[in-house]
Amino acid sequence: MKRQLIAAVGVAAMVVGLAACGSDGKKNDAGSGSSSAAGAKNYSGKTLTVWLMDGSAPKGWTDSVKSEFETTYPGAKVDFQIQKWNGIGAKVTTALSEGSVDVLEIGNTQTAGYAASGGLLDITKDKDALGGADWAANQNESTVLEGKQYAAPWWVSNRVVAYNKDLWTKAGIAAPPKTLDEFYADLDKLKATPGVADPIYMPGQEWYTYFGLLTTEGGKLAKKDGDKWVGGLSTPEAQKAFDTYKKLQSYSATGPKDKDEATPQQKDVFGKGDIGSIIGLGWELPDEKTMAKDKIGFFPLPGKTADKASSVFLGGSNLAVAQASKNSDMAKDFLKIALNDKNEGLVAAAGSIPNKAALNSQVAGDFAKAALPAAQNGAITPNTPTWTNVENEPNPVKDFLTSALTGDYAAAAKKADDEIAKRMNQKQ
Amino acid sequence: MAVHSERVQTQSPGSGKAAVASTDEIVASGAGRTPKSGRPAGGPRVPARLTPYLLLLPAVAATVLLLGWPLLKTILVSFQNLNKRQLIQHLTEWNGFENYTEQLGSADFWRITGRTVVFTVVNVVLIMVLGTLVGLLLNRLGKKMRLTLSIALILAWAMPVVAATTVFTWLFDQQFGVVNWFLDKLGWHSMLHYNWTSTQYSTFFVIILLIVWGSIPFVAFNMYAGLTTIPKELYEAARMDGAGSFRVFTSVIVPIMKPFFLATTFLEVIWVFKAFTQVYLINKGGPEDLTRTLPVHAFLEGFGAQRFGAGSAIAVLTIVMLATLMAYYFRIILKQEDEL
Repeated sequence: MKRQLIAAVGVAAMVVGLAACGSDGKKNDAGSGSSSAAGAKNYSGKTLTVWLMDGSAPKGWTDSVKSEFETTYPGAKVDFQIQKWNGIGAKVTTALSEGSVDVLEIGNTQTAGYAASGGLLDITKDKDALGGADWAANQNESTVLEGKQYAAPWWVSNRVVAYNKDLWTKAGIAAPPKTLDEFYADLDKLKATPGVADPIYMPGQEWYTYFGLLTTEGGKLAKKDGDKWVGGLSTPEAQKAFDTYKKLQSYSATGPKDKDEATPQQKDVFGKGDIGSIIGLGWELPDEKTMAKDKIGFFPLPGKTADKASSVFLGGSNLAVAQASKNSDMAKDFLKIALNDKNEGLVAAAGSIPNKAALNSQVAGDFAKAALPAAQNGAITPNTPTWTNVENEPNPVKDFLTSALTGDYAAAAKKADDEIAKRMNQKQ
Repeated sequence: MAVHSERVQTQSPGSGKAAVASTDEIVASGAGRTPKSGRPAGGPRVPARLTPYLLLLPAVAATVLLLGWPLLKTILVSFQNLNKRQLIQHLTEWNGFENYTEQLGSADFWRITGRTVVFTVVNVVLIMVLGTLVGLLLNRLGKKMRLTLSIALILAWAMPVVAATTVFTWLFDQQFGVVNWFLDKLGWHSMLHYNWTSTQYSTFFVIILLIVWGSIPFVAFNMYAGLTTIPKELYEAARMDGAGSFRVFTSVIVPIMKPFFLATTFLEVIWVFKAFTQVYLINKGGPEDLTRTLPVHAFLEGFGAQRFGAGSAIAVLTIVMLATLMAYYFRIILKQEDEL
């Protein structure tokens, strides 16, 4: 009997196993509750669903925006939903398809892709009402596709060097470096200091740092040649940028060459106290309990000469209205409040760079003060719908960095260029 | 499928060994060919005739709803150009066999398929050999040790895959992994900060270890359960005829357990072939896609790159490959039944 039972269980398991291979692209999320027939400016009883990314909105911002909106439009509600990064691409696509979100935060390198897919509402007419005349040009670039405005810039942030003041003092370094050569000399001093595991912790796949160095050299990850995109890693500029990157990375004894800054989280590594410095964003720092704030200093990654810091990747977020939103007027009015000078000032005070240069004076914190000057030289990835394909895992730029660090540059660059071109020229 | 499962139930090892056949006859006539006994002579009334189908209904409904429908959708999507844009705008763009020709004409697809086949063979051979050995061991151990081993096996088996994979990533972690620490203590000092996920083979080593470790209990318990059905007399008779341990295994155990070996091997082939969680979580198919297997490929193309049509085509091709294997399995089963 046992044998037959086994066989029966086995066959049942096979059936389950086979069909489980298939997976369906669509997922039916429940749509948002609100219906149409909007009375002008009377949003009473309606709820606006706003998606924000995990760890993105500064403290106090959501509360301020929510209370201001709900006071201005009595009876209306804002439902902030915080989204996890994991698998966000397919989730945003589904939400835009189902109309289950009204306003959403979209990374500035992803905006063109969603705009081209028809998921975002054209808000060209509302640009001025949102304060668009004063938006920083290098931030607004990512929100425009073929002359139409599909989102509003919200904030950007860029990476700077964060250093452990105690270790630097111990190594006998008096002031932050002004040029790359000075930085190398400091790292050498740190290397010789007992108690320092890594003069700088830098995993091999820190492609945002490489992007900054590439921009400094005048290179680009991809360029348009006729109507086709070609990868730009096989160029002399890319090679020069990589030499700098490799030199910096060589100071990281424990940084895995095949991992990015999130595995393990570099703030946890830095928090252990034996790491001289990291290159990171404002929230990639240990909390107050692990390492006191006044123990951490910041400076922009220096350039070859003292007059110009290295360029940076200007990562950030835009706010967009979903095309399928049933509350688009309400969503636009929400944007007016969310992006007004008061709330945008809160973004600045929390240490991100706001969307208007006039608010830069409100930027607070040592990190942001170091980040601000470098942001002037900041750039973003090619502003084109198919760029997002390149950032899909496995990201060929990350793989390129690992292979070039461990092997032959030319072969790694060629392989990555082919993959970048393949993905960027893909049919939509 | 229900028909097939009945067949498996009723079939018994067609080994042809005289000593074995007699015991099998009893089992087969008792469980399988029901008409001879049990039913009233005048034929069952209608409700009674319907009962089996009514009992099957919930399972069939659940299967159709949870597996059949998604499968059908997957097949439909695989004939469409369905990307981000089409999904958001609810566009249906049929493109015939384009997704399939793209995949079948792609060197990547065939490289990944070949890799998946080799990966499956290595895993299944290891699982079957080690699982069988552990099963034999279970049969021979004394009560206390058998209980201890059974508990250990059950714990390994009961561990959720994601949890097990997470534990393995920590065991083999470059900086903090206990494996590297231990190897260093044993004298292999170069292993102290060895990066297990840096090359194709070392990554596969970790994945295979994880899968084999997780699959041995199933094979071992089934093997042990099967062994308990073999009467002691058969071993004694074989020993009397001068058979050694190996000969007992090949001449007594293997013929009797043939259906077990067949079913388990095919099950393991399917499970390993479609193993997604372990492969994906250890290193996401890296380094440089060198550990990408077919299910991971389907996921990364479908959900990662949001090319749902292409991803579905890969999934369907995977199903076709497994179905071909299944067909071969059922052929063997049916053949055996004919021989009876």
